[in-house]
Amino acid sequence: MNEVKENMAYKPQYGPGTSKVAENRRKQMNPNQKLEKMRDVTDEDIVLILGHRAPGAAYPTAHPPLAEQQEPDCPIRKIVTPTEGAKAGDRVRYIQFADSMFFAPSQPYQRTYTECYRFRGIDPGTLSGRQIVECRERDLEKYSKELVETELLDPARTGIRGATVHGHSLRLAENGMMFDMLQRSVLGEDGIVRYVKNQIGEPLDRAVAIGKPLDEKWLKAHTTIFHSLGSTAYRDDAEYIEYVQRIHTLRTKYGFLPKEA
Amino acid sequence: MAKIERTQKLFLKSLKEKFQGQDVQSETTEFYKFNGYHQSPRKEEFVKASRAVEMDRGISMYDPVRCHLGGIPLGQRQLMTYEVSGTGVFVEGDDLHFVNNAAMQQMWDDIRRTVIVNMDLAHQTLQKRLGKEVTPETINEYLHVLNHAMPGAAVVQEHMVETHPGLVEDCYVKVFTGDQELADDLEPQFVLDVEKLFPAKQAEALSAAVGKSLWQAIHIPTAVSRTCDGGTTSRWSAMQIGMSFIGAYRMCAGEAAVADLSYAAKHAGVIQMASHLPARRARGPNEPGGIGFGLFSDIIQANRKYPNDPAKASLEVVGAGTMLFDQIWLGSYMSGGVGFTQYATAAYTDNILDEFTYYGMDYIKDKYKVDWKNPSADDKVKPTYDTVNDIATEVALNGMEQYEQYPTMMEDHFGGSQRAGVLAAACGLSSSIATGNSNAGLNAWYLCMLLHKDGWSRLGFFGYDLQDQCGSANSLSIRGDEGAIGEVRGPNYPNYAMNVGHQGEYAAIVGGAHYGRGDAWCFDPRVKICFADPALKFDFAEPRREFAKGAIREFMPAGERSLIIPAR
Repeated sequence: MNEVKENMAYKPQYGPGTSKVAENRRKQMNPNQKLEKMRDVTDEDIVLILGHRAPGAAYPTAHPPLAEQQEPDCPIRKIVTPTEGAKAGDRVRYIQFADSMFFAPSQPYQRTYTECYRFRGIDPGTLSGRQIVECRERDLEKYSKELVETELLDPARTGIRGATVHGHSLRLAENGMMFDMLQRSVLGEDGIVRYVKNQIGEPLDRAVAIGKPLDEKWLKAHTTIFHSLGSTAYRDDAEYIEYVQRIHTLRTKYGFLPKEA
Repeated sequence: MAKIERTQKLFLKSLKEKFQGQDVQSETTEFYKFNGYHQSPRKEEFVKASRAVEMDRGISMYDPVRCHLGGIPLGQRQLMTYEVSGTGVFVEGDDLHFVNNAAMQQMWDDIRRTVIVNMDLAHQTLQKRLGKEVTPETINEYLHVLNHAMPGAAVVQEHMVETHPGLVEDCYVKVFTGDQELADDLEPQFVLDVEKLFPAKQAEALSAAVGKSLWQAIHIPTAVSRTCDGGTTSRWSAMQIGMSFIGAYRMCAGEAAVADLSYAAKHAGVIQMASHLPARRARGPNEPGGIGFGLFSDIIQANRKYPNDPAKASLEVVGAGTMLFDQIWLGSYMSGGVGFTQYATAAYTDNILDEFTYYGMDYIKDKYKVDWKNPSADDKVKPTYDTVNDIATEVALNGMEQYEQYPTMMEDHFGGSQRAGVLAAACGLSSSIATGNSNAGLNAWYLCMLLHKDGWSRLGFFGYDLQDQCGSANSLSIRGDEGAIGEVRGPNYPNYAMNVGHQGEYAAIVGGAHYGRGDAWCFDPRVKICFADPALKFDFAEPRREFAKGAIREFMPAGERSLIIPAR
């Protein structure tokens, strides 16, 4: 995992804003802030949800371990330390999330920024209804554990979905669960959410429990999405609005006449 | 920026119809109980039709139970109907795919099969080179001959094959001029009378712009442009023009002067509806990717019919533009996908963009005293960074808050690209109508995108976001290698060429700048006059209403083949 070095000339700000939403966003992004652990999910269960390999199976490889193959004389390779997955020659695989706009703890760009600050060797992709992060398989399993076990996930409003992600903007079901056409996860009578299919929708041999949904009060207090009814209205964070306007104006001016006035 | 009060919610009726018996402001609902696709009468019809096809051809076809997600048919949530904005007509989503909608097909057919050809060059050749007399009488005779020849009939030759008039009934030629005296001397059946078709102020401006020139508005048969392509239109037209001149003016078919007529009809005097595209796009003229946004806003005629409502006029361009550029151009020509319809329809269904845009109208009237219902260049707001930022920010925030307060509306626009396009269009239209400056409108679009992305931490899809995150920098950049003002930009502008959910809205933003000023046209007065023709199959003053008619199967298109196929 990453952490910000003390001797950096530049101190990251992790985004503007004076609101609670802005503060929550900065907290998720800042690798020096420990994410709150909300649940325990075993390594084997993570592998089951991901669906890329059978638990206990060897990692399939895309190339020989770096130590065994002839590496070119490359200055970049000397600077960048390979991740464990890269060293071993693992395949690149993925985990993909769908985050409900009804106060899921993280949201697509927020996830991407957070992952970029906290993880190494990743390739995130950001859309409106889903956010994917790809990396070497054993690195992915390590990162996934953090993404699933911590405050970045709510079992009811965060979906782990490889395809057919439809649901992020739909009303919630009456039991509080986000819509999932494949119903990969179900809320049991005991109040615990269990994955009965892996992220691509293949049925699991056994259900994987990921805990109870977080309560509404907690979700709204920790939300990273502006909302005029449920959290902070976007217009009420004047610093945030002014920041976006400033970025836009500077980009416009630079495109029009790319030199300082 | 400061929120203003607006109690009218244009989308409420749609939401209540779509989600009948439900609280449209509730954050919860029920799923998985709708019996899959069976809830949709149209999809039931598809299944029935498919069974008949399968019995006939012996090859399997539409089978949502077996083939969708390995046995889970769509319809696990409520499949919604849609109100075509501004029409009050509710339709099935499927009926807004252009394959299922004859009006949509005809709109594009009517553009692709149109060219405008100058007559002055030919008349000069006839008069100065050949010493022939050209009078209103000879022009009338020529137009009779041309309306015989243009659909595909012989003029000069013996033993010719000809086309069946019943198959090419949509093909004809009219003329227009700014010279009212000449127009009055021509047979009314052949004349697009600017004074009768346009409001007085617009007619005066259009006539002055066209002057004494005489132009032919030519529509070749739909069946021809469909079988061939847009590049055929000027060729087919020029061939019949040449033959008609030979026939009407008793010329020698082989004399050298014919080459002058041909050159004028094929090149020198031709206004194509779209420029040809570079080799990597591989399309000739009169194909959608080459239609400039200003020209497209002239094709759409809502500002002629509704001169005192620039918002409505612009929204009609949005509807027509998203259909053509998203559903047909990017969706099928460029991508081959079927789902592009869903992006495009968000901008012209359920009155959501309409509501956001009229909020913008209220705002520019309240804060900047723009009397938008009386379009004029006199009360436009100076397009400064401050004013564009202010208008775009307020309209964007209002729209986002509406989505937040009406979860059913969020569910209606279930994709981020849908919401992004609609919000940014409202911002762009509000700014362009307020300032009368299309590039100010485009600039407002991009601020909205950035605000949206940061507010909800999401926008559209990968490429969609790319286009919008670099858009601020090119909205006022006019460089030889990549730019022009909005009127001259088009779907093939480098930063616009890739992504659904933009091009129709950009066209409307360009149009809005001119509609807000009360201009008679945006880019080319000849195109504005040409598409004012009430004889066209598609009514370009009411594209959304025409789409609705197509959806409920009340639109009668051209290009029928029933005359030459076995009766069913």
